[in-house]
Amino acid sequence: MFTALGVAIGVAAVVAVLTVAHAGEKRIYSEIDKYGPNMMVTPAINDMALKLGDLRLGSLAVGNNYIAEDRVPEIRQIADGAIREAIGIQDQGDIATIAPKLYVDTTVNGISIMVAGFDPQQEIVIKSWWDISKGRYPEQQSEALLGDRASSALGIDAGDSININGEELTVVGVLQETGSQDDYEVFAPLVTVQKAFGKEGLVSSIDIRALCSACPVESIADSINKSIPGVRAVAVQQIAESEMNLVAKVNRFMLVLAAITLVVGAFAVVSTMMSSVHERNKDIGIMKAVGASRGQIVRMFVYEAVAVGLIGGILGYLSGTLLSYVLGPLIFDGLAMSYAPQYLLPALGLAIAVAIVASVYPAFRASQVRVADSLRAL
Amino acid sequence: MLEIKNVSKTYGNGSSSVGALRDISMHIDDGDFIAITGPSGSGKSTLLSIIGGLEKVSAGEVLLDGQRIDNLSEKELVEIRRKKVAYVFQQYHLIPSLTALENVLLPLTFCGSDYGGRKRAATMLCEVGLEKRANHKPGQLSGGEQQRVAIARSLVNNCSLVLADEPTGNVDQKTGVEILKLFQKANEDGHTIIMVTHSPEIARRAKRIVTLRDGEIVDQVDQEGCERSSEKGGFIQ
Repeated sequence: MFTALGVAIGVAAVVAVLTVAHAGEKRIYSEIDKYGPNMMVTPAINDMALKLGDLRLGSLAVGNNYIAEDRVPEIRQIADGAIREAIGIQDQGDIATIAPKLYVDTTVNGISIMVAGFDPQQEIVIKSWWDISKGRYPEQQSEALLGDRASSALGIDAGDSININGEELTVVGVLQETGSQDDYEVFAPLVTVQKAFGKEGLVSSIDIRALCSACPVESIADSINKSIPGVRAVAVQQIAESEMNLVAKVNRFMLVLAAITLVVGAFAVVSTMMSSVHERNKDIGIMKAVGASRGQIVRMFVYEAVAVGLIGGILGYLSGTLLSYVLGPLIFDGLAMSYAPQYLLPALGLAIAVAIVASVYPAFRASQVRVADSLRAL
Repeated sequence: MLEIKNVSKTYGNGSSSVGALRDISMHIDDGDFIAITGPSGSGKSTLLSIIGGLEKVSAGEVLLDGQRIDNLSEKELVEIRRKKVAYVFQQYHLIPSLTALENVLLPLTFCGSDYGGRKRAATMLCEVGLEKRANHKPGQLSGGEQQRVAIARSLVNNCSLVLADEPTGNVDQKTGVEILKLFQKANEDGHTIIMVTHSPEIARRAKRIVTLRDGEIVDQVDQEGCERSSEKGGFIQ
């Protein structure tokens, strides 16, 4: 029974690490999701610089400056379809985060400023680093959010009202400084901005966030380009690549961790099995004295090892799972653990294999012991 | 029939070697009951171990029913232990995790003749008067009871030769006599018994007493005829 406990401890350690690693992987994906969009869709504009020698005369834009908003569902369909296929899920809900925006240059209180019409629910998913320094995040169509710089430049604070091209909105919050373009912008709900500037059904760009371990960001971009005219989808290569790199590294790290635990666990099992066999040298001597052959003794220990491995494996799997429920939240603060049944069979197999390997050698050694030696040494 | 021919046993080698047995010769007939006595260190237990194939001889040979048993391979020894030679030890040497019945059953299990084995083991326990203790573990039994279980175990395979090393050494006088009666009964049933003891009380009940001193036979008394042999038998100078 003590031996089974040794096996159980080894298996528990391995199962706990694997289960935590497994759940941690999901957590890491969701953490990585915070690093902004990895694909951008813009209108397909051919921007030609008009130059005369070194003199820049301006630019000539050919094509449409906006994307029709009704393209958004089509883009979602392509992106979600590709992700579903890549990770093999049937889920019918929205998967990718798709945040359309409409940028308009305007003047507020005589100061020229950029107004961004946005979808508050989607935007906050992509820009998870956003923090509200004053007030709260907008929820209503008549509510606006100011960038830190925009707020100080306009002299408008949370609670004040703002007039955007004739639309009277309440500023409900100010963003904490982000160090990006966002600091200089006024954010108002998309529909409101579209109405204020007479650009109903139009957006300037669409940010897409589609991350999963196997998401084919580039091929999603390609299929958007092929099937939707008038838009240009670009995978944000750098971000996508470094994210994938990070995921691969984390995976490798977890694998190494599990392998080390496995080796340590196996050694724990080997040493308990060995000492258990050693303790029974006398019993082995007795069995030999009453007619047991070496083969019978070794076989007996193998059967026992299978039983010990089975009991230890089950106990270890259960306690390892319990342990991971305790440790997981400590490592990945507040991580919800999920029961990992795929480790049950390998855990049992491992426990039995290790128990057999660990007991056959000492049992074989013990079977060589001469009856006289083991019976006298008392 | 057991024949011991000029057996010597030395431990260690070179100048530090210690002679445990010196040129012992003995002839033991089937159905005999021999008590080997002598002071501590006289080589009694060594002689018994050699007869049982537990230890190798340094010189000489041991023949059991005409077959040399002093140079057997491990495999051949297993066969001898299953069919011909059984042991009873001073320390009982029962397996503590098994019940009395299971301990008695053990030799039959290893022989593979398990069919009806349980019944045979139960009968043997009955013969030694322990039928009510069959399901007790050795730890729950007294020393005398444990030794009776060990005797039942030694007889269950019907081995012709039973070797007992100080079987009464760990029990009181009265229990010792009871245990001896079991050996006497086994002897009457046809088993050859060779018993090492340093109790003269116990030795007196054997058919023959062999006394060892410093690895040599110094005295052999045939008690059936109640005659003390004048010759210090088998011991050649």
